[in-house]
Amino acid sequence: MTNPPVSANPATPRHPIVEISGLNKDFGQVVALRDVTLSVKPGEIVVLLGLSGSGKSTLLRHVDGLDTPTGGSVRVLGREVSTLRGRQLRKLRQDIGFVFQQFELVPSLTVLENVLIGSLATLRGPRLGLWSYPRRLKLAALGHLDRVGLLERAYQRADTLSGGQQQRVAIARALMQNPKILLADEPVASLDPESSEQVMALIRDIALDEGLTVLCSLHQVDLALSWGDRVVGLRHGELVLDTPTEGLTKAEVMAIYGRVTTSTGALEVIERELLSTVSMA
Amino acid sequence: MTGSPIPAVAGRSDTAAPAPRHPVALDRVAAGISLTALVVVAIVALGNSGISITSFFDSQDNAARFFHRVGALTFPDLPETVHLVGLTVGLVLTGTLLAAVLSVPVAYLAASNTTPGPGWRAVGRFISVMTRAVPDVVLAMVFALIFSLGTLPGICAIGIHSVGMISKLFADAIEQIDEGPRRAIRAVGGSTVQQFVSGILPQVLPSWVATVLHRNDINLRGSVVLGYVGVAGLGLAMSQSFQELAYGEGLGYAVIIFALCVVMEIVSSTVRSSMLGIVPTRRTMGDWVVRTVIRGRAAATTSTTTVPSRSAELATALRRPWTRERIRNTVWLWLAVVIAIGGVLVCDIQWGDILTVWAHIPETAAKFWPPSWGAYDAGIIFGAVGQTIAIALSATLLSLVLSLVIGSLAARNVAPSPVVRHTFRFVLLIIRGIPELILAILLIIISGLGPQAGIIALAFGGIGLLGKLIADSLEEVNPGPERALRATGASRWQVFSSATVPQGAPAMIGHSLYLLDTNLRAATILGIVGGGGVGYYLLNASQASVYQLVTSITLLTLVTVVVVEALAVWIRRVFR
Repeated sequence: MTNPPVSANPATPRHPIVEISGLNKDFGQVVALRDVTLSVKPGEIVVLLGLSGSGKSTLLRHVDGLDTPTGGSVRVLGREVSTLRGRQLRKLRQDIGFVFQQFELVPSLTVLENVLIGSLATLRGPRLGLWSYPRRLKLAALGHLDRVGLLERAYQRADTLSGGQQQRVAIARALMQNPKILLADEPVASLDPESSEQVMALIRDIALDEGLTVLCSLHQVDLALSWGDRVVGLRHGELVLDTPTEGLTKAEVMAIYGRVTTSTGALEVIERELLSTVSMA
Repeated sequence: MTGSPIPAVAGRSDTAAPAPRHPVALDRVAAGISLTALVVVAIVALGNSGISITSFFDSQDNAARFFHRVGALTFPDLPETVHLVGLTVGLVLTGTLLAAVLSVPVAYLAASNTTPGPGWRAVGRFISVMTRAVPDVVLAMVFALIFSLGTLPGICAIGIHSVGMISKLFADAIEQIDEGPRRAIRAVGGSTVQQFVSGILPQVLPSWVATVLHRNDINLRGSVVLGYVGVAGLGLAMSQSFQELAYGEGLGYAVIIFALCVVMEIVSSTVRSSMLGIVPTRRTMGDWVVRTVIRGRAAATTSTTTVPSRSAELATALRRPWTRERIRNTVWLWLAVVIAIGGVLVCDIQWGDILTVWAHIPETAAKFWPPSWGAYDAGIIFGAVGQTIAIALSATLLSLVLSLVIGSLAARNVAPSPVVRHTFRFVLLIIRGIPELILAILLIIISGLGPQAGIIALAFGGIGLLGKLIADSLEEVNPGPERALRATGASRWQVFSSATVPQGAPAMIGHSLYLLDTNLRAATILGIVGGGGVGYYLLNASQASVYQLVTSITLLTLVTVVVVEALAVWIRRVFR
């Protein structure tokens, strides 16, 4: 990649925290990722841009070791993910927070217990019920709930919360891991515009405060530009765009994106989006 | 029809393309033939059973004579009643709890999304099928040999037999969960066990509790027969009374058991609805009572659940507020714990036996091997198994015919008026309330030993179950086609036959096969109380200590039950 690295702290270049090279992934006949190479510096906030089915989720899952590559290498925090097994893999995952599109809270448990689930990797054996977690973790969890603004909901069932609130609980659950990296897979795709804004702002604030490295997949171009430090575009499993957002206009991104997509003549959706964005700009 | 993929057939008139052929799936044909064969065999079996209107009137004389002999109902004195009721409930409860605990690992292995591997899954399913197929009565006989006298044989028999149903339903529930929370725990770095306990268990707990409570009701009814093979409680007291020809006393016990079953159903239905938020669907008489009560209460109290907003102080936030919901959950939890402990204490378990029993197992097991026909000819035993199958088929057919009428009239979209619907729903409710084993015992006493009594008792009980299931599945059909037909001016009958029945048919076939499955197990057990079939030989063999014959009969029953179940599963899947 020829683009200059844009990180939260550009003065001190450090070793990449996520280093993906030549990553391939097939699901049977379907190619999900093809020769993806990407390197992320600590503290960077990177947006993965692309339509559904472009391989964003698969890429994120590889970083967390939830998928195994068909070929290539994924190094996270200095460890080759595909070689890790059992306890070592769980240790790596403990350092990586994951925020899902569908929040994935346990609906019948309290909000507080859902946050505490983030600490399971540090505990031995199974836990069920608030009494089974140590007091110090409960205090920490309440702190994280306060941070996301949901302290007063701590003892409510998770499924009584709105979508935006549930996603904030899921962020608190990720914070409970004391992660070094935060992965977010379309975190606002199921939310209304107002909660989307809240959730995205929350993720960015937390990332800056804690110095987290963030990899977040989105499909809205304007949101990606205003939110991330760097945009990485995926199309049909291939990396087609990797550039800092500073000074970049929507029209420029859409032009790159549109050229790539229209060259195949397949994705009318992008064309339409391109047209509307250009007219707006 | 120019674009038709079907080429014109030579030799036919060319003016019109041939009608497209009805696509024929081979497995549907095979399943259809199997189903028809089952129905034909059932009709033949029913014809041979000797059930007829005339014999029914004959037995009315018997009944009159019987009730003349009974005289007045006599009940045991109060302390004795309390003791027997406590013992029966405690034993059933402890057995069901044992099964509930044992079912968790079995279901974990058997569910496709939690099993460690295909081999383990086969093990889990094997345990599930086998424990279901071996009747609890047989298990009780075996455990009576291993344990010194006491409640342990009964507890273990119920505990192991119930694993089959509970683990199957539990595994089904696990397979239907939302995988998301578990994936999140995996992403957090949680271990496999943590994923199960924190991500899956909270999702399936309500259905698990409901299943266990439901099974507890079934076990209470079944405990009557356990009494016939010597398991302490009301069943034993009743069987002894009847053996001593003290009919009034025996009927007294029967009334107590009946009342107990109804009370237990009301209790379990209350728990299910208030603890789990499952609105009863009128499955049992208990559900009916609870629903009626709840409806009255819901109107009286408007539920307001205000969340107390707490200060941001984390330390104070650590103290969980005692909301009404939390108080209720805590009360239920401790009540359940107290009842469970009480149930175990009532049983007065010889805990020492659990340690010493292992030494007895090899010698006991040796008594059961190799299987043999004892003093009988193999043909006699095979004939008896055949009779059991005939009883099950006949009873299922009778139930089906009557349930089609009663069930249809009890369905909202079929019944000509709400009054008719409510009447027939109530009839079904009453029928379900009567424990079929007690009915069988009474019929046997009245009309004498034999398959007729067994068939009638099973058929009667089957109406309660099948009639309800048919009514429910008819009500669940898509109302669109019915409306469309009515709009074309079709009559009530035409709507029923062309829109309602075709849509409900797969479910009805499924439910009938399920009833056949249930009846086959019940028919085996019925023989033990004198209802004909192989159960009679089973009881004889056990009482005469011909254990090798017990083994061969059990194996035969096992094969039959597994084959019928596999057949039912296959047909159900094809017609779904």
